[in-house]
Amino acid sequence: MDLLKRLGLNKYNVDKKSHIKVNLEICRTCKEKPCIKVCPAGTYERSGDVIEVHYERCLECGAALVACPFNAIEFQFPEGGISYRYG
Amino acid sequence: MSFDADVIVVGGGLAGLSASLTAVREGLSVLVLERGEFSGAKNVSGGRMYVHALRQLVDISEAPLERPITKETYLIKCSNRAISFSFSDPESRNSYSVLRAKFDPWLAKKAEEEGVIISYNTLVLGAEREDGGMTVRTNRGDLRAPLVIEADGVTAGISRSLGLRKLEPHSLMLGVKEVVKLEGPPEEGEARVLVGFVGELLGGAFMYTNEDTLSLGATVKINSLQEGNKMARDLVEEIRESLGVTGEVLEYSAHLIPYYGYDKLPPLHAPNLLVTGDAAGLLINDGFVIRGMDLAIGSGMIAGKAAKRILSEGKPQDTSVYERMLRESFVLKDMYTARRAFTLMNEERLFRRYPELLCDVLARMFKVEGERKRLLEVVQEEASKRGLTLTKLVRDLVKVM
Repeated sequence: MDLLKRLGLNKYNVDKKSHIKVNLEICRTCKEKPCIKVCPAGTYERSGDVIEVHYERCLECGAALVACPFNAIEFQFPEGGISYRYG
Repeated sequence: MSFDADVIVVGGGLAGLSASLTAVREGLSVLVLERGEFSGAKNVSGGRMYVHALRQLVDISEAPLERPITKETYLIKCSNRAISFSFSDPESRNSYSVLRAKFDPWLAKKAEEEGVIISYNTLVLGAEREDGGMTVRTNRGDLRAPLVIEADGVTAGISRSLGLRKLEPHSLMLGVKEVVKLEGPPEEGEARVLVGFVGELLGGAFMYTNEDTLSLGATVKINSLQEGNKMARDLVEEIRESLGVTGEVLEYSAHLIPYYGYDKLPPLHAPNLLVTGDAAGLLINDGFVIRGMDLAIGSGMIAGKAAKRILSEGKPQDTSVYERMLRESFVLKDMYTARRAFTLMNEERLFRRYPELLCDVLARMFKVEGERKRLLEVVQEEASKRGLTLTKLVRDLVKVM
């Protein structure tokens, strides 16, 4: 099952503003972009030589707090966000 | 400055609810801050709880647990070969599969009935120590108490905000999970540990039988994800397909898992602060059981009792009694007992070389090709092919014994 379909099963109350900030200057210098592999929600996608953040996909696991070896990702939990129905 | 409660509990999950229930029973006023719209809204667990601690906290006869786990299965896969073994104990009521978005609201209701106040949709932004107490900053304004019990889960926002610790990829696992509709008649409650399902990543997979669903997923070390070629987002689907599970997928979820072990535990207390559950890095994996939820409940209950003692002394800065009480309890005793097994559960050879070694040894033992070698010789040969020695194997075996 496709990732976006799976995420579509979940109940979200998406915040108006993103709870994730990326320092693009640092991001640009990173070739590997391990955050893309680490995030289970596909929140980070490559866009040119930086990443694009789809914060509305976030499953709030917190992996973003350690995913970037260069600390280019600033992650706070959202005010709304996901409500698991099974958990 | 005045206080809003005797104790502010950050997080309304198992640790936070156990702490608050206990503290209220001790006669303290307690305010729980929960960022979800209900308790459990943000919680994901693999899905199995050992209920001994819960039984000490509440009457569990009405608890919305899924199924008693009466069958333990290990399935080890190495390419086309596989080893499996099971242990059945139909009478066992020691552990249950559980879905946290159903279970936690039930426990929260119990807590509320006994006088715990839970403020939902309340996101904690940070904490500061000032004027003999702690100020907790939230999206709804500042709140103050002489004592804070941190039960905010593996990401430990309060400890991080106070500068007590940093999170590191090598002491965290990522758990990814799907809840799938159970097809066919109800089965017995089974816990399956799956080895060899996550490729080169350091970790494993699991499957638990719930009342009318299955929980299946993987747990992998974050640093191995950073270094490897696999995408976290693909893990559960690969496992589901390789197990041939075809039921309707109902939910996809993810959560971090603390993987510290006794020797690397983070600070468990600080002035005006007690740290519990996942936030305190409490998780045991000794090869037989993987448990965190009972440690969350146990540490929460102890924090509730310790809070009473600390506040009665009138010195909320001096919180060391909490750690002493944890050391006298099953929480740190069991963490200590499991410490050597846990180190092994962190080793590359356990995830990669040992499963293959086991498969190759069995493949040779179950084959007849003229001249036959003894098991010990076969093990020795296969071990040395992988840069391992018999002594090393025995030493590792002793670690889990």
